Amino acid sequence: MARYVMAIDSARCMNCKACVIACQQRNEVPYDISRNWVRETPDPASPCGTSFQPGACMHCDDPSCVRACPTHATWKARNGAVEIDRGRCIGCGSCIDACPYHARFRHPVTGTADKCDYCHGSTPGMTPACVSVCPVHCRVFGDADDPSSEVTMVLAGHKPVHLVPQGSGAKPTLTYLDATVPDTLPAGPVRSMPIDTMRPMAKGLTWVGGLVLAALTGTFVRQLLWPSEKEDQELADEELVRAKKAAEDRGEHRTEEGGRQA
Amino acid sequence: MIRRHSRSAICMHWFNAVCWIFLLFSGLALLAGEMQPVGSWWQGLWQGIFGERGLLVAHIAVGTVWVAVYALYLLVFGRREAFPFLKEVTTFHPASDMLWCMKKGMWLVLGPKRTKKLGVDPALPPQGFYNAGQRMVAVLAVLASLCLAVTGVVMAFFSGSADPHVSEAVLQWSIWIHFCAAAVMAVFLPVHIYMAALAPGEAPALRSMFTGFVPESHAEHHNPLWYEALKKTGKQSS
Repeated sequence: MARYVMAIDSARCMNCKACVIACQQRNEVPYDISRNWVRETPDPASPCGTSFQPGACMHCDDPSCVRACPTHATWKARNGAVEIDRGRCIGCGSCIDACPYHARFRHPVTGTADKCDYCHGSTPGMTPACVSVCPVHCRVFGDADDPSSEVTMVLAGHKPVHLVPQGSGAKPTLTYLDATVPDTLPAGPVRSMPIDTMRPMAKGLTWVGGLVLAALTGTFVRQLLWPSEKEDQELADEELVRAKKAAEDRGEHRTEEGGRQA
Repeated sequence: MIRRHSRSAICMHWFNAVCWIFLLFSGLALLAGEMQPVGSWWQGLWQGIFGERGLLVAHIAVGTVWVAVYALYLLVFGRREAFPFLKEVTTFHPASDMLWCMKKGMWLVLGPKRTKKLGVDPALPPQGFYNAGQRMVAVLAVLASLCLAVTGVVMAFFSGSADPHVSEAVLQWSIWIHFCAAAVMAVFLPVHIYMAALAPGEAPALRSMFTGFVPESHAEHHNPLWYEALKKTGKQSS
């Protein structure tokens, strides 16, 4: 099984945004939103005073978006991509809130979550549009487990830099080569209320449900071995005996009194 | 014998039971990752049978049939059966109801002898057509059903569209309410099944859920207030 990854040499990027337009066209994303981007950061060290950083879904390992999805409509596939099944997505947006890279959005036509899928959905088996269209070849895509693939060789020859938003604990698989600006992202809100409360509640349900089932089983066994109905009967019998004895005692008492009077 | 349940109520009860169990089991299997309360084996089992998307389709199909049949039932039998039922189950006597629940629990778990030893009289407060436990679970089931039906319809038929009224917040709260309502019923459904089908002394009540009739002695013992009311109106025998 292939393990697809993307490597980006952001120093080569000249901000032509061909990758953004190619992605929008191939994946039928409206022009006012996009699955990928080129981040512009003022940088005096750069020849044009601005650093360009192409980006997209980082296809993280242990992704926070997958953890946030309540319907298993998104998952980390074995081929390395974080995928979405629109048929199972209800469009609740929890994954959109949970992504620290803001790589997801709600598609205005489908109403479901949308993001980069390495163009698997639109053109399976083909190189992603952003990679094939880039005129300066700053994006490289391929199987990281294939030693002869370009991406493996490129990654072997450069220092890997991973862009991690502060405090997010994200494990991106998208790798920048040698250096990139910015090299970190500010911490942003990645909470998706009320879905986040469903995780502890599910744990609570496991415990409460389990205890209830155990208690019912225990009661069932107890009633099978020592039926309460039998105890009820015994108590009623005891009561009857006691009443009978009391009546007899009263009778004897009356007879004695009668004898004394006589 | 006394008629306890009408034929339509019996049909709806068993239709409800089949739908509830399927919807609860399949719904639990639809939950992902840390939101999966049973375990990944449960998800694997159900998705193995129906397929990943197939399970959702089956859940929505059964849910739709359940909502549609219930709506029809309420339309036809609302005035004759559903409203009197709602009136009956929402009539609470807090002190006596709490005492009934406590004593019934002690009777089942400790037994009447130990209960007596603890200084508690094991005799239960007299109950009407439904006992305190049944009334409480019935109210929860009605509320949960309403929540599940409304949020289920929102998620099944209004998600996956760009309708601005069905915003992300609406869908997030829908699945949250759907989950909470199902969780409450997941806890109380086994209690209902045990108390109605397996607990000692309930066999005539279980049989009445098929035949519609309970023996007079059973009604007199389990639902004395209802039995008294029937006697007053002269309707106890049929």
